Amino acid sequence: MGEFKVHRVRFFDYMPSAIRAMAFNSRTERLAVARADGAVEIFNFSDNYYQEKVIPGRDGRAVEALCWVGQRLFSAGLNGEITEYDLENLKPQYVIEAYGGPIWTISCNNQGTHLAVSCEDGTVKLFEILKEKIQFQRNLDRQKSRIISLSWHPSGAQIAAGMMDMIRIFDTETGRATHRLLVERGVGASKSREVVVWSIAFLSNNTIVSGDSAGKVQIWDGLMGTLVRTHLVTKWDVLALAVSQDESSLIAGTSEGTIVQFQFLSSTVDRQDRDHEWVRTRTFKNHSHDVKALALTDTAVVSGGMDTQLVVHPLLDKVEKNTQEAAQRKIAFPHRSLVGCAKKAGLLLFQFPDHLELWRLGESDGNDHICCSALSPCGGWLVYSTVSSVRLYKLQHNNNISVNKVRPQQRIIQLRSVHQLCFSADSSKLFASSSQSSVVVVALNQLECKYLQTLRHKSGHSCPTAVAIHPTTNNLISVHADQQIFEFSLQQKEYTEWSRKLQKQGLHGLWLKRDTPVTSVGFNPKNPTHIILNDTFMFCIIDQSLPLPESSTILYNQMTLRSLPAPERTRQSHAFKICKNFQHVLSMSLLDDLSLVVVERPLLDVMAQLPPPVRQKKFAT
Amino acid sequence: MGEKKQRGKEASSDGEKAAENLNMALEPSDDEAPEEVTFQDSRVEALRRLKEALDTERREKELLKEKRRKRQELFQEQKKRKLFPAEALEEMNSSTLKKQKQPEDEAEDDEEEMKEKKEKKKKSAHSRKLKGTYTVRTMKDQTSTFFQQQAAKEFLQSRLYGAGSCRTTSNELLSLQNKKGTNQSAAVQFVRKDWACKEKAKAEKLKKRWIHKQRNPST
Repeated sequence: MGEFKVHRVRFFDYMPSAIRAMAFNSRTERLAVARADGAVEIFNFSDNYYQEKVIPGRDGRAVEALCWVGQRLFSAGLNGEITEYDLENLKPQYVIEAYGGPIWTISCNNQGTHLAVSCEDGTVKLFEILKEKIQFQRNLDRQKSRIISLSWHPSGAQIAAGMMDMIRIFDTETGRATHRLLVERGVGASKSREVVVWSIAFLSNNTIVSGDSAGKVQIWDGLMGTLVRTHLVTKWDVLALAVSQDESSLIAGTSEGTIVQFQFLSSTVDRQDRDHEWVRTRTFKNHSHDVKALALTDTAVVSGGMDTQLVVHPLLDKVEKNTQEAAQRKIAFPHRSLVGCAKKAGLLLFQFPDHLELWRLGESDGNDHICCSALSPCGGWLVYSTVSSVRLYKLQHNNNISVNKVRPQQRIIQLRSVHQLCFSADSSKLFASSSQSSVVVVALNQLECKYLQTLRHKSGHSCPTAVAIHPTTNNLISVHADQQIFEFSLQQKEYTEWSRKLQKQGLHGLWLKRDTPVTSVGFNPKNPTHIILNDTFMFCIIDQSLPLPESSTILYNQMTLRSLPAPERTRQSHAFKICKNFQHVLSMSLLDDLSLVVVERPLLDVMAQLPPPVRQKKFAT
Repeated sequence: MGEKKQRGKEASSDGEKAAENLNMALEPSDDEAPEEVTFQDSRVEALRRLKEALDTERREKELLKEKRRKRQELFQEQKKRKLFPAEALEEMNSSTLKKQKQPEDEAEDDEEEMKEKKEKKKKSAHSRKLKGTYTVRTMKDQTSTFFQQQAAKEFLQSRLYGAGSCRTTSNELLSLQNKKGTNQSAAVQFVRKDWACKEKAKAEKLKKRWIHKQRNPST
């Protein structure tokens, strides 16, 4: 593989944002996740859990709850607004004020006709869902205290609302509150504080399940308005609940970071219906901090919270054991690169939501967060985009760095929703992705711009996670979420011989089993047959001149190769040279002087800066 | 005794009888008969109190008007001087804190003022940087929605991280993991980084000065 001088960079103190809410769309297999900084991410569960889309946040806009209505995504927050997102252009489509004060949660009925939001002022507001917008219909009976959570009955005729010290059941037709269920406060010191019903679920057999701040999961009879059973699952708060689609299993997330599962089982041998009750079955300790959002898909428990990691834990009774599917996945870092590297100049660009660090310059305009950024290889140009604009800067670095903002042409200013930016190898062109899969090419000397139509990404294929153009052969290398690699010749407009050979042979099993996507593709200036890829836990140099590994050969063979004599080594070498020395790699690039820059973000550093977790007294500590 | 008399006097004509009865019910064994208060007296008393209340209200309104006028004058003055002194900033800060009375009026005033300043200086965005570390923001951001949002955030914060929430630090959590792990190691942040900040800053300054001296022995 050769030896490289490595610059190991650990001072990129990127802090991921806590997960506040999530919503799973079972029809499209997409999970929408809302973060504390207002960003909304969409993960494609059928494409190797790839983080397909990221809608950046905005200062002052925090999302409390998310909800899908068919293919449409809505969110609500403490600023009292309901937002519908444009998932094609990755920005908010419109925002409407609910005029009820801060909104705590939003939920859609099964029929997809109405949205209900619960507000700080004690009202539940119903909005009619129309084709291009939503329209306020009416309020349900106003209550005296804030309404924190709500759940529609599957029929749409009733809504259960979790408040302070109680649960209210409303009739949606009349708007009247029909039942009041009193929730018991905690014991000891907590008795003086009101108990908050953080989450609630209304099942079709009229059972209501509630999770509260006293650590209880309670089962209620919604018809009679009585308490059926109480389960004390934690000393701290139960912050989230999720119910499976068939209503046979439910999960509760706690401030401890545990997830407790309940299943609707029969206690007797005969398994008669009336003997079924909710029984506590498993406990998962997937997080170190509070679990704030949960989703229960057909096959897995999905959770997220203050420790910022998204965890997908497959339920072993629903998937085949010992397969790729059965492995737990922890998604800790974004699936796109936040680091740009000027290979010739040796500069690094770190992307934060509200600023770029090159040498600390470029505050973003207004309060829009930065979507993506790039640095030209010569180090002379810097570009970044937000939801509303694209900014280009010319850098001059003699001894210090000076930055001059470049005023681009009209057409470039009009570029909206640019989510990929990349410079050509000779720094003469800038490629910016635009809507409808087209790419705008900007020549950087005269600042003219001409449109170039690229390949439309074929629907049905896995989403590309990293793309690059070879500087000499002009071949386009793309790596996808399902770990497939393609090489396309831009001149001949067809896949290359090598690419077809790779497809025919198929990629090695262990390569396909990797659970983090490749976030960048690079090349070796001294050797045109090398392709350099990296994901979070490894980097790999693919040598196109060597034979491809077969499924029976050992993939990670670099260590063994080193100990072999020379002739044996050449016989056993294959194209994929993988190095796992670096962990939690955010970015990797090869500089022109053949030194390697590896930007690592040790998870420990992230964890050390998280907000306080609960204190558990353990023996001998 | 005196207490009873006072009660009798202060009661209005309607309540007078009731008060008297109450007194008699409470202390039936008392020999002294309650003093009779004439209707005239109690009416005068009631009217006096009413007038007093109206007077205080009027006075407060005047005071507020006066304050607003003074502030407006101050702003006019400053506009002429083209400078924004710190006291005015403090006043504006205190006015944002004193939101209860008339938040809208104050918001209007400040917003107007800000708008004029903006036009004058032709600077964009909602905030301006001044000398030092002061920033001025328009009241547009500080509407009642903002305060409600803040209150809701504080509610969340106090419930999850406030008193009685039984929390520790991430450092402690990780250090315990280190202690109980298979490869036992030291605490994650052996020295608390936020300890003795001032002393550390002073030491840093001294170090810089020493290095500078070493480099330029002539000074």
